Amino acid sequence: MQNNILNVLKKEIREMFRDKKSLAMMLIIPILIPFIVLGMSALFEMQVNLDISEYNKIGFNYTLSETEQEIINTLEIDPTIATEEELKEKYNNEEINLYILKNDNNYTIYGNDNEITTLSSILAESYLNQYKEYLQGKYLETSQVDPNDVLNIITIQKEITASDTFFASYIINYAFLFIIMAITVSATYPATDTTAGEKERGTLETLLTFPIKSRDIIIGKFLSVSLSSIITGVLSLLLACLSLVAANHIFTIYEGMNLMLSPPAFIFSLLVIIAYSFLISGLCIAIASRAKTFKEAQSALTPITFISFFPGMIAFMTGITSNLVLSIVPFVNFTLIFTDISNGNFNYLQIFLLIISTIIYIALVLYVIIKNYKSEKVLFNA
Amino acid sequence: MLIVKDIKKKFVRLKKSGEKEEFYADNGISFEAKEGEIVGILGPNGAGKTTLLRMIATLLEPTSGSIELDDLKYPKDAIEIKKKIAYLSGNTKIYPSLTPYEMLKMCATFYGIINGVEKRIKEISELLEMSTFLYNRIENLSTGQTQKVNIARCLIHNPKYYILDEATSGLDIISSQIILDFIKSEKAKGKIILYSTHYMEEAENICDKVILINKGKVIKSGTPNDIKKDTNTTNLRDAFFTLMEDYHAK
Repeated sequence: MQNNILNVLKKEIREMFRDKKSLAMMLIIPILIPFIVLGMSALFEMQVNLDISEYNKIGFNYTLSETEQEIINTLEIDPTIATEEELKEKYNNEEINLYILKNDNNYTIYGNDNEITTLSSILAESYLNQYKEYLQGKYLETSQVDPNDVLNIITIQKEITASDTFFASYIINYAFLFIIMAITVSATYPATDTTAGEKERGTLETLLTFPIKSRDIIIGKFLSVSLSSIITGVLSLLLACLSLVAANHIFTIYEGMNLMLSPPAFIFSLLVIIAYSFLISGLCIAIASRAKTFKEAQSALTPITFISFFPGMIAFMTGITSNLVLSIVPFVNFTLIFTDISNGNFNYLQIFLLIISTIIYIALVLYVIIKNYKSEKVLFNA
Repeated sequence: MLIVKDIKKKFVRLKKSGEKEEFYADNGISFEAKEGEIVGILGPNGAGKTTLLRMIATLLEPTSGSIELDDLKYPKDAIEIKKKIAYLSGNTKIYPSLTPYEMLKMCATFYGIINGVEKRIKEISELLEMSTFLYNRIENLSTGQTQKVNIARCLIHNPKYYILDEATSGLDIISSQIILDFIKSEKAKGKIILYSTHYMEEAENICDKVILINKGKVIKSGTPNDIKKDTNTTNLRDAFFTLMEDYHAK
């Protein structure tokens, strides 16, 4: 039995490595990972290090008082005084980042919603608030009230420390989500090709004439798809680690941080990747083996790509953290536990639960595949 | 010796109305085939020939009835039966990314042949004149060359039984002849060959015995000469049409 599984596995591997499409699916996303890591890091750096001169050009349709001028100078605003029509034109020509129109005591800030305008708007609001406070103070003084008693009736102090590791966590988590995606894509194509594809090409009927149990055939196929996913996963992890190290050296936002996974974190990540590869390969084979044609299998597997990616992404974006229950929820558990591992938090019980639950899911999936693969309906669409 | 006794195969199909309908692709077929015999399985499309041969090749399980090859019974001894059988049909394709050499070696491992594989591949390669393309990928071979590889994979384990389902269908005259020559040479070695075809002349020329099937039932069996005599016809084609007319008249 073991020999037959091995023989089927050898046959599948040979076919897989000779098929350009299978190879492309195995390698495309891993190769993209360094571009994604470095590209996103460059984007973060650009946002953080944006020079004030990029967003401080503000237009006014009124003459600025001496006080206003002082505030504007303090805030490093580069003012342009012009009529409403001229300001509109200058804004459209991108000579100013936004403009403020004054009508009696009403001030309106104009601009389109984009990243630069958001920053300019913060500057404009800052200027208007400071000027408002000045006018309120003046009014209170003339009313013989101490402005401090009214304006500072309560005091607010900010003690929020900015997280130094925000960008680092963000980039590492995204890198892992792409590794998950790469593994899924890498599993879907060979799973389709080795089941529905083989059926469509007529080679499955030949394979079934050999003295091999259908159970051995499907286990051999499952192992070959898993191997393809593991190769993609390991390659993706290596490239992600290398690109994180490169990003660590290139970009100032990671200064003083260590993006490199520690050896234990690397080993546990590898374990998570292998567990995920087996699970997704089993699921893909289970779905694709029921399809009559290659196209039908591809359509049936499309949702798997999203299902594998989105729960993890949503958990990450909404800030859900790992716990005992979530560590047995497929797809979500891989992302959450990887986040913990990359942060150096090794919750061994959760890792153990992830591995055990994944083994149970794989066993269930394999049971279903083996049972179905004996069916004439699956093999001959009978 | 092959003994097929009253085998039936039931399938379920969907009617246009969406209802499920059970039908018998084969409904009580019995026959025997002895060593050195070529048995032709003939009938129109949908008669149940492929289902019958797939059951004998252990690819489909009969709903009822029995199939015995020598002392082996299907489905109990399916794996042992497969070792004695070679099944070649229009649907059994070979792996295009492999070379004929790799294909034959792979087949040998599946049949558990460990010793003398190289010698066997060489023998078959010489027999079927495959040496010039033995190491070329199958995807680059002509239809005739591919058919030779398909035959070669049937020979690798030296089977006793050959099940050939429409093996010459869609092939040109040269490729068809390769298969017909192969059948004759294997018959001479005492092998049992089940041969299904649409080509009546072909069947008349090579079959020792013919089984005519329609709608899952045997409508006539015997030697081509006996069938012609019984139907007062001069060739198997006319005999077939006469039998079909009689069948529909009933």
